[in-house]
Amino acid sequence: MSGPRRLSVPRRVAVDAGDEGRPLMVDGRAVDSVRESWLVEDRWWTDRPLRRRYWEVVTTCGRDEIVFHDLEKGRWWRQR
Amino acid sequence: MIACVLLPRFQLTVALEGRAELLQAPTALAPEPGGTQQIGEVSLSAEAFGVHPGMRLGEALARCPRLTLVAPDPAGVADSWERLLVRLESIGAGVEPERPGLVCFDVRGLLRLHRGLEGVLAAARRSLRTPARYGVAPSRFAAVAAATRARVRRPVIVSGERKQAGEFLAPLPVALLRARPALADLPEALERLGIATLGELAALAPAALADRFGTAGLHAHELASGGDGALRPRPASEFLREALELPEAASGIQLERALGLLIDRLLARRERRGRTLRAVVLSAVLVEQGGTWREQVVFREALADPVRMRLALAPRLALMPAPAQQLRLAVERFGPHASDQRSLLDDPVAARRARLREAIRQTRAAAGPDAALRVLEVDPDSRFPERRAVLTPFEG
Repeated sequence: MSGPRRLSVPRRVAVDAGDEGRPLMVDGRAVDSVRESWLVEDRWWTDRPLRRRYWEVVTTCGRDEIVFHDLEKGRWWRQR
Repeated sequence: MIACVLLPRFQLTVALEGRAELLQAPTALAPEPGGTQQIGEVSLSAEAFGVHPGMRLGEALARCPRLTLVAPDPAGVADSWERLLVRLESIGAGVEPERPGLVCFDVRGLLRLHRGLEGVLAAARRSLRTPARYGVAPSRFAAVAAATRARVRRPVIVSGERKQAGEFLAPLPVALLRARPALADLPEALERLGIATLGELAALAPAALADRFGTAGLHAHELASGGDGALRPRPASEFLREALELPEAASGIQLERALGLLIDRLLARRERRGRTLRAVVLSAVLVEQGGTWREQVVFREALADPVRMRLALAPRLALMPAPAQQLRLAVERFGPHASDQRSLLDDPVAARRARLREAIRQTRAAAGPDAALRVLEVDPDSRFPERRAVLTPFEG
């Protein structure tokens, strides 16, 4: 092993979001409900700040997904 | 005959990497964080203001208000110095490093190999690939003094025996004794007593010096007379190091977990070949260009047990003056091979662990080093899930 491997690394996901950034579709599956949403900010004192809006949603097929919107780069990621 | 290689202001030059223009200005190495408030090596222009290494910071700033202080880089210095020593060893020299930037070796065994003294010095120059001053003399101290008088292209060679070495040293200032840490305070006291040169010091009765300065006085007299202790070359060493980048400035519990990870990785290295570790060096690159931090740890007994190593090393992390962005652990000296001593009565727990270790070894041999891993919690309370845990080699 060349170095320690991180777990729970975020993976890209396709999300269609509505007004106020609320996810409507995650990977082509419609979102049935939003269980929770929270904002995390860190390293704002560095050149690479982290700002993420997390959403825990349940899709219409019953899957519980945690996705976040990278507020710095504007991309959506899935995280376990 | 002893040869001395001197790289003046080595620590300052390494600390100023990329900012070489500061060497032209009055510059000094800042005191080590947490240590005594004494400055380190100084630039030539700072010396012109009467500032010298080991001076109290307040006095140095009083003498030279424009003095620029540079954060020391002990880990970078150790790395660069080790590289140079290995290059010197590659010509067959058994080196005894005195401090970074100053190393001595006995040339007698190399004379035939490199066809004379000039050949030895030429080989050393070629291997180092960096400008240095060379001095050769019958004693180590005289060789160091000769190196301080030498120019980059013109080595100073003092041939003969102890008497000739004493004659060479006689007109030189007593300040040269500062090269020996045990005698660092002596030159100032000697100068106050009107003893300015090593010749004047050698002319004094040893008993009078012993009466005034104790063993330090006797040692200084021996050096000034052209004598010195025998050279003690360091044993040839291997370089084994593990480093871990810490994307977010780490301290406290996160640093301890990173240390645990480094210990596991170091013990899992194949180059260790089952040997125990006698001494290690823990170092770190500090955040916000705070320089580096370095701590040598010699274990009470040679270890290969990660738990005991963690117990010995973790308290040293508290000495770090600032959060770290990189943590490194290097082996400085190996101990004997770890032996599996069997107890009189078989301990079932130990037997199970031994079987597990053997199973892991065989699995790794068949499927590669990634075959047996474990989850190590690095920062379990982090708000970012990817920072909470990493996969690391499993140690049975």
